[in-house]
Amino acid sequence: MADSENKSRFKRQKLSNEADQSNPYLAHMHPNGDSNGVGLDQSNGYGNGYASNSNGSAGGLSTFKRHASTAKMAKVAEDGPTNPFTGRQLSQKYFSILKTRRGLPVHAQRQEFLDMYQKSQILVFVGETGSGKTTQIPQFVAFDDLPQSQGKMVACTQPRRVAAMSVAQRVAQEMDVKLGEEVGYSIRFEDMTSPSTMLKYMTDGMLLREAMNDHDLKRYSTIILDEAHERTLATDILMGLLKGVVQRRPDLKLIIMSATLDAQKFQKYFMSAPLLAVPGRTHPVEIFYTAEPERDYVEAAMRTVLQIHGTEPEGDILLFLTGEEEIEDACRKINLEADELSREGAGPLKVYPLYGSLPPAQQQRIFDPAPPPYKPGGKPGRKCIVSTNIAETSLTIDGIVYVVDPGFSKQKVYNPRIRVESLLVSPISKASAQQRAGRAGRTRPGKCFRLYTEDAFKKELIEQSYPEILRSNLASTVLELKKLGVDDLVHFDLMDPPAPETLMRALEELNYLACLDDEGELTHLGTVASGFPLDPALAVMLISSPEFYCSNEILSLTALLSVPQVFVRPASARKRADEMKDLFAHQDGDHLTMLNVYHAFKSPAAQENPKQWCHDHFLSYRALQQADNVRLQLKRIMEREDIELVSTPFEDKKYYENIRRALVAGFFMQVAKKDNKTYTTVKDNQSVLLHPSTVLGQDSEWVLYNEFVLTNKNYIRTVTAVRPEWLLDIGQAYYDVDSFPKGEVKNGLIAAQRAMQRARDREERQKMMGGRGR
Amino acid sequence: MAEEEEDDYLSMSFGGPEAKPQETSLQRIARQKKEAAERSRVPSKGELREREKLARETALATAIDDSNKGAKMMAKMGFKGGALGKSDDARTQPIELQLKNDRGGIGMDSEKKRKVRQAAEAMEEGKKKQKVGMDEFRERSRLEREEKRGEGLWWGAMKVLEGLEEDGGEDAKVEDGPDEVGENVPKIKKGDKLKDVNLLYRPLLKHRLEKERDRKMRYDLNNSLSTRNNASDSEDDKEASFDKRTDQLEDEDTEIEEYEALSFANRLERVVTELRDKHQYCFWCKFRYTDAEMEGCPGLTEDEHG
Repeated sequence: MADSENKSRFKRQKLSNEADQSNPYLAHMHPNGDSNGVGLDQSNGYGNGYASNSNGSAGGLSTFKRHASTAKMAKVAEDGPTNPFTGRQLSQKYFSILKTRRGLPVHAQRQEFLDMYQKSQILVFVGETGSGKTTQIPQFVAFDDLPQSQGKMVACTQPRRVAAMSVAQRVAQEMDVKLGEEVGYSIRFEDMTSPSTMLKYMTDGMLLREAMNDHDLKRYSTIILDEAHERTLATDILMGLLKGVVQRRPDLKLIIMSATLDAQKFQKYFMSAPLLAVPGRTHPVEIFYTAEPERDYVEAAMRTVLQIHGTEPEGDILLFLTGEEEIEDACRKINLEADELSREGAGPLKVYPLYGSLPPAQQQRIFDPAPPPYKPGGKPGRKCIVSTNIAETSLTIDGIVYVVDPGFSKQKVYNPRIRVESLLVSPISKASAQQRAGRAGRTRPGKCFRLYTEDAFKKELIEQSYPEILRSNLASTVLELKKLGVDDLVHFDLMDPPAPETLMRALEELNYLACLDDEGELTHLGTVASGFPLDPALAVMLISSPEFYCSNEILSLTALLSVPQVFVRPASARKRADEMKDLFAHQDGDHLTMLNVYHAFKSPAAQENPKQWCHDHFLSYRALQQADNVRLQLKRIMEREDIELVSTPFEDKKYYENIRRALVAGFFMQVAKKDNKTYTTVKDNQSVLLHPSTVLGQDSEWVLYNEFVLTNKNYIRTVTAVRPEWLLDIGQAYYDVDSFPKGEVKNGLIAAQRAMQRARDREERQKMMGGRGR
Repeated sequence: MAEEEEDDYLSMSFGGPEAKPQETSLQRIARQKKEAAERSRVPSKGELREREKLARETALATAIDDSNKGAKMMAKMGFKGGALGKSDDARTQPIELQLKNDRGGIGMDSEKKRKVRQAAEAMEEGKKKQKVGMDEFRERSRLEREEKRGEGLWWGAMKVLEGLEEDGGEDAKVEDGPDEVGENVPKIKKGDKLKDVNLLYRPLLKHRLEKERDRKMRYDLNNSLSTRNNASDSEDDKEASFDKRTDQLEDEDTEIEEYEALSFANRLERVVTELRDKHQYCFWCKFRYTDAEMEGCPGLTEDEHG
């Protein structure tokens, strides 16, 4: 390895001694280094170029010196005719894409970028959406960092799986390579890379996982944290880690990329790293406020959309709403009203919903062009996209001229005091509002209609959205940090440290789950649990499931709990969907019902035509397929960790009971006791209701839940009936009865304790009697 | 429930020597009955909601205390209170939960609060004012009364004028306020045009037409609602001829606007003058004189008539 490296370096040096070739201004005369002159001959070029690559020195890059290349040199190499990385002939499509790429705003500043990148170990890069930073900067880096020459890679993180996949695909096209070879991606439960990969797009969570086994991230020569302004939990943790890694590894370069202007915060955090800003290609956006606060923001939003359609010149509309149900409902209503308007002479209006759980094919429809006028020369048609905040930063839709912003989004919130992590409709921040407005100015000057007063904008919206780390349960993160070798959790240098109580709660939970000991050190169970890309409760449940003779079933269940909802309940067919669900219902709860679904899905009858089967039974084919995939991945980890896969025979009357007991092993902290008409959560004493979607009747005294949901009521969702004896037995440390506050829960536990004692006594007596009898 | 009683029993027997006033058995039975009734009562939805909210708010307002296992672990890691991390301005309290239960837009809540506050302030203000102007109040109510009376007299005078102009006879009765609609269908005899009618009593006719139009609209609505389409032809004709006249209501009439902009007293004065000049009729004497000098009438105004 070291040998070949030396050789290639030597070769490069030798080539660069030839004056012509090292002169970047003359480089165009030697388009592809050592395969000189062959370039024009297409039939020959392929073979030659490829051969030269296998020699270890990539064609067009042979004159490049690491961290000393220029934009001009890169341009020449990009101009082909052979691919500088593979040596293969470049395709026609490549050149047409190249032309567009060169028009991107970042391209104008390539040299400036390189100068700063070469000089500094850390760089903060600010490029507004549409500047091309996500696709171009990693390529700029690849040409200068030459990771393949070091046997390393360039990593570029993305907050979302979809973005990592689609951007990798795009960049593979741009570089004219096959996805998964030189350019690949890696997301949870899917790795699309190979040994030849040099540019890897990945979710930030994935990079964090890798860091667990490789604390210094030695596989990478440059790490790019993209969309850092979104401040996801994983990005925040990565920044904290990398701050230490860059000190241990002077050869590692780090680029923080952000789309918004609060970049000074990143600069300050990273020891005053230099900053480079590239303006986006945006047009001015005129902002309108309402005169009065709106009584109903959804109504107001629909009214505004229709008004724009009726009165404003050509241009598409983007409306931000908060969730699937609200969006689907609004789409339906706008469609109806638009038909009415078109009878009165307005042009056609196509309405598309957009939200995360929408199938990809339907998501793609938002890129369809606006409909043509009803008749030639008639009023222009337009499309209206009704979206969650995924259209705020991550997705770029051309043609949007009007933005309607009611000022709300669904945001995750976590409160350690009542231990609830939930999605709540909350006001957005000023920064988000600006981002939303900016979406109107992508194609030409646009308009943004804010459905609140200017005064409310100034007084009621916070400056920046709270980073995810302040809005999340950190149990999983703390376990990861422990595995990452961070011992001083209290002083770990985070950009925005969470409230101390959040850490307290996380440590407590991990201690009860026996993942951390009383000193806060990782236990064996904790180490194994951290190896699973799962919440600690799920991981512990899975690891301990062989003790309950049902690891096969718990594995399936874990997979099912890790994917989106498997039950589909369209507004148009609620009753039928519920009837279908009843076919799978298990009287003891939703977990077992889900398991029944999965088993039915895997039956030969269903597998004959699984898509149709799912459709007929109101189940999400995508979710079940995904669950299948997740199950496979988890199974591999289990095999690696030597966790047995066992089942209780289905005929055994303990089949379901064993599964319920195994659930308790992970979720004993998420239990509620019946109290009159409602339920009360143990320890926190929160009054909750069973979510209406449950199959469970109202008569179960004790229930275990997967989720505590806050809406206008407190709900627990995905619930299964359990027995108090199991809680006392399996969750012993947590169910220390003396520590419970006085009340219904404590009384119930005491009663169970006594019943258990009586049973033991009886057994004892019987044994003694039996002994005497014999 | 059984456990609870046992609990009590236990706690009493181990409760130590302090002498509490003993509860008599009757008292105890009464208390237990009351408590049992309270427990078995099914709480209403509102109560449940209230209870849920209370429990949530109590828990949210209570910080996790030092006896918590996690807190102890943190103490071992060297946590001495304050914030986490290395920056000084990090948060020490969790982000507050804000539940949104309606679809009110941004700023709606504070707008509501502002309105409530404003209303409260306005009430305060009102109270103050009342104290100030008892006299002012008397004066104002006197004016209001006069205004009302003036209006009534004006309508009456117009009717008299109408009567005189239409047939020269004196069939007018003085009534306060405009006609009740219905029985006497609008009388516009000289041509069909509202504008041709003497300005001074034109409002009277206009008012009748308006009432008639409203009645007709109601009638049409009723008809369309009941889907009975058996209205007689003759009635249709009547409606049709009437339509022509009600249409005039849409026409602009600046004269009448100007006239109606005058105060009631002024309008009354104009009608009274007209009655005298044209018809030698004194509105106050309720008498039509035969001579132009109107011998015997004390004067133009009401006051002169005593």
